[in-house]
Amino acid sequence: MLSINNLCKAYVGANLFKNFSLEITARSIVGLTGPSGSGKSTLLRCIQHLENIDSGEIIVNGKAGFIFQDFQLFPHMTVLDNIIYAPVKVLNQPKEVAKKAAEDLLQQLGLLEQQHKYPAALSGGQKQRVAVARSLIMHPDLLLCDEPTSGLDLGSIIGFKQLLQQVHSMGVTMIIASHDINFLAQIASRILVLKHGVIVQDLSKNDFSGSLDLLKDALLA
Amino acid sequence: MTLIEQVLFIGRGVIVTLKYTLSALAVGLSVGMGLAILRRQILFRWLVDSVVSLIRGTPLLLQLSFFYFAVPGFLGIRLDIWHAGLIAFGLNSAAYVTEIFRSGIQSVAKGQFEAAKSLQIPTLLLWKDIIIPQVLRNIFPALVNEIISLIKETAIISMFGELDIMRRAQVVAASQFNYFEALCLAAVYYYSLIFIIERVTNKIEKTWYAKY
Repeated sequence: MLSINNLCKAYVGANLFKNFSLEITARSIVGLTGPSGSGKSTLLRCIQHLENIDSGEIIVNGKAGFIFQDFQLFPHMTVLDNIIYAPVKVLNQPKEVAKKAAEDLLQQLGLLEQQHKYPAALSGGQKQRVAVARSLIMHPDLLLCDEPTSGLDLGSIIGFKQLLQQVHSMGVTMIIASHDINFLAQIASRILVLKHGVIVQDLSKNDFSGSLDLLKDALLA
Repeated sequence: MTLIEQVLFIGRGVIVTLKYTLSALAVGLSVGMGLAILRRQILFRWLVDSVVSLIRGTPLLLQLSFFYFAVPGFLGIRLDIWHAGLIAFGLNSAAYVTEIFRSGIQSVAKGQFEAAKSLQIPTLLLWKDIIIPQVLRNIFPALVNEIISLIKETAIISMFGELDIMRRAQVVAASQFNYFEALCLAAVYYYSLIFIIERVTNKIEKTWYAKY
């Protein structure tokens, strides 16, 4: 699904990634954790072409969607318009078709009643679900989530976990960058610990399903 | 001239004042918006900043005189006061609008550009549907100030013989040997125009800002 080969990327003058390589298989949920400044967000942004890379290659088999930490919904558009804008204007779908798809999505996400509201009137958890819907309606094969649980209350985090599982069941591969290792351990099938642009631990579900010790050790080392 | 005749005579200048104001605003908004967007390209930044600095750094009266007297002589063309005024007021307004737009664009979160890019929204649509509506909302009060300034600045056109509010007040004053009444009437007209604009834009602002 995703192949990163010999990625080099300098950030604020220093080499963050130096010949960084990574393979991610389709339909997996990969957690990406590490201390601040380890390169989690930058890696996601490079995959989505939001950052220019210095050298190397990033190959995504299919379309990638991105969920921003602060959601970045368009504040001047209603929830519905936020979701249908790209399908209508970018994919040239008839408005009615896009609207029907958006309403189905909103129904699944429990947001149908909020469809005519502006983002400012929504809670953090609701905004996040709208951001997910806005990405999903473009049928991404890979969903990149940058710190999705920061700033959310416990109820919203649980809701978001269920939502991601729902998205995964649609066959979407996911990479989730987060500090929250408990959250990642519950949802991910693989967790990568990143430090200074290097993967210091690559753990499979078996390594962290029973205990988070290996993860904690890697983070504190 | 009775007082009523004076009121009506000066009042006809409102159309001329508004003609210059609205035309200059149209030029100022479109050119200013274009320059502010163009300025984001490093290649054009120096050029746009220089033009803005030059226009903001010279008096409007000089600019108007330049386009009315100097440019036609230099290029060997004839430019009437309407066209010279349109260019001078329009460009002068564009310089200020460029700066207003620049700050407005800066006030839009970088993430909005990135979110649009993530959704593969093409550049033209990004600006038209995502960025400019947010910029306009952010800069609306500053744009209203620009309109108000323009209305008052157009009074300079009276020095070139255009029969705007100011010129008509001068004509009345000269014919009646009474400046007090004529200038008071001109002030009432200018103030009324600006008062209406303030009220209307306040209403627009309230409705707009209440939405989101």
